[in-house]
Amino acid sequence: MKRQTDYGLEIKPVYTPEDIADLDYAKDIGDPGSYPFTRGYHPDGYRSRVWTRRMTGGIGSSKRTNEQLKQFRAMGQTQGMLIICDRPSAMPIDADHPMGRREAGVLGWHATSLLEFEELMEDIPLTGQSITLLGSAPLSALRLGYIVALAEKRGLDWRKVHGSVSEYPFGHIFGQTDNLPLDLNIKLWLDSTEFIVRNKLHIRSGILTQHFQESGGNNPQALAIEIAMLKELLGKLVNERGLDFDDLALIPYELVSVGSRFFEEIAKVRALRRMYAKMARETFKAKTDKACQLLIAVHTSSRTMTYQQPLNNIARCAIETLAGAIAGCTAIDNACLDNAYAEPSPFAARMSLNTQHIVSDETGVTDVTDPLAGSYYVEYLTNKVEEEAYKVLKQIEDMGGMIEAVKQGFIKNLMRESALQKQRDIESGERLVVGVNELVIPPEEDDKIPIQSVEASDSEEIADRMANWKKTRDIPLLKEKIAQLYADSKKGYDFNLMPAITEAVKAYGTAGEIIGVIRKAYGYHYDPLEMINCPFEL
Amino acid sequence: MVDSIVEKIVNGDVRTAAKLIGDIDNRVPGTREILKALYKHTGNAYIIGITGAPGAGKSTLVDEMVRDLRLQGKTVGVLAVDPTSPLSGGAILGDRVRMQRHSLDEGVFIRSLATRGQFGGLTQSTRSVIDVFDAMGKDYIIVETVGVGQDEIDIAKSAHTTVIVVVPGMGDHIQAIKAGIFEVGDIFVINKSDRSDANKTLHDFKAMIDITRKRSTNGGWEPPILMAEAVNNKGIVELLIEIEKHRKTRKALSPESIIHNKKAIAQLELIDMMKIRLVEEVLNHITNSLEFKECLDCIVDGTKDPYSACDELLSAKLPDGLQQS
Amino acid sequence: MSNNQRIKVLVSVIGLDGHFTGAEIVSRYLMDAGMEVVYLGIYQTPEMIVSAAIQENVDVIGISSHAANYEQINLLMELMKKNNFSVPVMCGGSIPPQDAEALIKKGVSKIFLPHSTSESIVDYIVSIVKK
Ligand SMILES: Nc1nc2c(ncn2[C@@H]2O[C@H](COP(=O)(O)OP(=O)(O)O)[C@@H](O)[C@H]2O)c(=O)[nH]1
Ligand SMILES: [Mg+2]
Repeated sequence: MKRQTDYGLEIKPVYTPEDIADLDYAKDIGDPGSYPFTRGYHPDGYRSRVWTRRMTGGIGSSKRTNEQLKQFRAMGQTQGMLIICDRPSAMPIDADHPMGRREAGVLGWHATSLLEFEELMEDIPLTGQSITLLGSAPLSALRLGYIVALAEKRGLDWRKVHGSVSEYPFGHIFGQTDNLPLDLNIKLWLDSTEFIVRNKLHIRSGILTQHFQESGGNNPQALAIEIAMLKELLGKLVNERGLDFDDLALIPYELVSVGSRFFEEIAKVRALRRMYAKMARETFKAKTDKACQLLIAVHTSSRTMTYQQPLNNIARCAIETLAGAIAGCTAIDNACLDNAYAEPSPFAARMSLNTQHIVSDETGVTDVTDPLAGSYYVEYLTNKVEEEAYKVLKQIEDMGGMIEAVKQGFIKNLMRESALQKQRDIESGERLVVGVNELVIPPEEDDKIPIQSVEASDSEEIADRMANWKKTRDIPLLKEKIAQLYADSKKGYDFNLMPAITEAVKAYGTAGEIIGVIRKAYGYHYDPLEMINCPFEL
Repeated sequence: MVDSIVEKIVNGDVRTAAKLIGDIDNRVPGTREILKALYKHTGNAYIIGITGAPGAGKSTLVDEMVRDLRLQGKTVGVLAVDPTSPLSGGAILGDRVRMQRHSLDEGVFIRSLATRGQFGGLTQSTRSVIDVFDAMGKDYIIVETVGVGQDEIDIAKSAHTTVIVVVPGMGDHIQAIKAGIFEVGDIFVINKSDRSDANKTLHDFKAMIDITRKRSTNGGWEPPILMAEAVNNKGIVELLIEIEKHRKTRKALSPESIIHNKKAIAQLELIDMMKIRLVEEVLNHITNSLEFKECLDCIVDGTKDPYSACDELLSAKLPDGLQQS
Repeated sequence: MSNNQRIKVLVSVIGLDGHFTGAEIVSRYLMDAGMEVVYLGIYQTPEMIVSAAIQENVDVIGISSHAANYEQINLLMELMKKNNFSVPVMCGGSIPPQDAEALIKKGVSKIFLPHSTSESIVDYIVSIVKK
């Protein structure tokens, strides 16, 4: 069995003060609440606020997901909600698209119109809890529109809503469904982020490494990519959109994928806080402490959840939740015991939420901040993963930054090679995974668990509903708003499309239509799959 | 049997053609007879070769060319050749990824091929596949190859128009590409001209081409250098226009030079065809012999060195073998 | 198998799934085992896959499915039948037991669960193509 970190660093049997002899407490670590924030952002840690304990939701129609959300709330999930969209929405194409029809509501909530957001949020408060809508970059701009529109309808101040509905433009490089060309994706991200900042909304944008790691990337690579993405995206907002970094720094949040190599995962999160703080201060000359703090949420890793013997995943989930809690984070959502099969069933959801409460309420982990600080091993690992990350970051920057590195295929290569290595390690038995290459049982003896499913007929139903509903909209109004959006889209890369998008959303324009029209204005086919034509005369 | 296959292919039957191409690639006995019968149905398609380093954007470019040709109502066959891994003999044929949007279009037939054989032969099977597409009645046949080996350069020679694709910032690479590529290029495309160093490459390139461009039978054709951004569908129309111009220039050549060109190509192809048969058949003959196996044993147990073994085998088998086959 | 013959495998991700890493890794394994892989990438409809398989005259089709779009695989099987085109179809991915069973009934020849070894995949293909 390998005794190496996930990036191949040999691990010694014991660590001593020698291993961290160069460490300067004040400069490299600091107290919780002070620069470089290795130990976290709050002097009294979880005593002031325990992390948000939430579950990933989203399945089938908006009505079904609304039911699910209410169930989660009844299970005690009231601080915040996290809903993921289905694959058609992520493309984005509408449910009534020939391919949308086949997968609507599969693996998430079908989310391509304001109507669906209204249905999702029926009898659920828009304020007083954090609202996180995940999945797909192009949809971000629309989701922002949903928030604005529904807040207005409910007579709420937009600024009272908090959460995250926007997502980074690189997800498709890491296997996420999204078929918008990169440059256009970046443009829309810049537009929506600028809109958030200028309107002082309390909405964040996920600049995530979760997907990169779920697809096989290792820890230092993830750190390097996170910093590279932030540097490039925030840099563009400062340089191209004239925004102030200290305002911008309230936008990004990171969803870290925490796996089962306990100490390494904790070290990774600590290193990330330090790396971000240094970048904020040194590259962007951040003026406030707040601007040096990257909000970090934790996802207990889907990559570690096995198909075989799914009940074992409960143990993995608990270990990872504890790691995330010790590392320090603002929220945790769990990949559940049935993660390799489907979206969480009510059974799995309750298990996960309870796991989080067991960790927060029974273990004492919320009593003390950053309890592993000063551990020779953990501080050593923190230094090493950071050191290794800076090496990868340098490679990316030598190439001209994240976007160039993506275009040259460097990032995909990193991910592929690292994933291949992991698979080889499992095949050779260098890494053991219980139920997979150790303590294997015949499939017929495997644990039976309830599985949440979406039938083909459910997808059809969502599709038919959408096709019929589309006809009932105020078509002249919609046409007017779409024409405006098209005209705005022709006004250049720096012309912000958010106002026109929001108007189109309010007129019940769908994701397929809104993004399609923008695509068309930029010379691409209206339909990302080139199967249907633009229904509007433009 | 042969007749019915030929008839189906001439009528454009995709499955029969696909199967025949597989047999050609696998050197299945009997395919030569079909190819012989098919030959009289060929000669109508216009063949475009696309060559350049891996990652230059050739497949993306081909995809866009196909789109434009289809808009003009032309039918297209695409033959995409990728290198075989010398270690395993396997290959990942990834060109189709960029062209899949045409997969449901009945006017387009895309086929991937690996370079395979250790004795050359790429030109041979490629040529045969082109014949199949041609017999099927495709208006255009586009052949994508990685321009690194002699084989690929030879393929380029049998295309009517050869397009060489390069990308900015590959100055060293240009040196690395065989000089022969420059001689066969009828059109040069600097793809990825969205990159900042595209203009410098254009400049470097003009200089390079001026040096190598000294051909006798070009009928006054000056290979143009075009800028393109295949991913953004820029420069494709211009490329197709240049191809059309080149086609006209070829047509306008004097009868003597047309014959001269045809002869040169025929010679190349004939030699290639014979080379493969010779090498394969002779080698098969030798490696299946008892003497060969004895020599191997002797080399392994140290009683003979491989140099002597080679000499002995060739002098013993070669004239003999040739007479027998 | 003679020097000039190779097993030709089509590898594709099906439907709207964007996860390509698994398919790419399997393609690499198959290449290392001496096979020729026609790789289609992501966002492939069953229709596109069948058409490519016919044009490429492949021996086997390998579908990567990162959970839950079995409906698309069902469609693929129906389409192959309709086109009278039959080569073995194998699927890899996290496919729950009852869905796996349903797919086998539809004619999928083999399902490889997550973390299947490269050896098991290669051996299976060789055995099935020889038949
Ligand atoms: N920046 C840029 N990238 C391109 C362009 N054309 C193709 N590419 C990208 O280059 C990579 C390789 O393209 P491909 O067509 O497969 O190249 P091939 O190996 O020469 O066939 C792909 O990621 C393409 O998207 C272009 O004009 N500009
Ligand atoms: Mg190519």
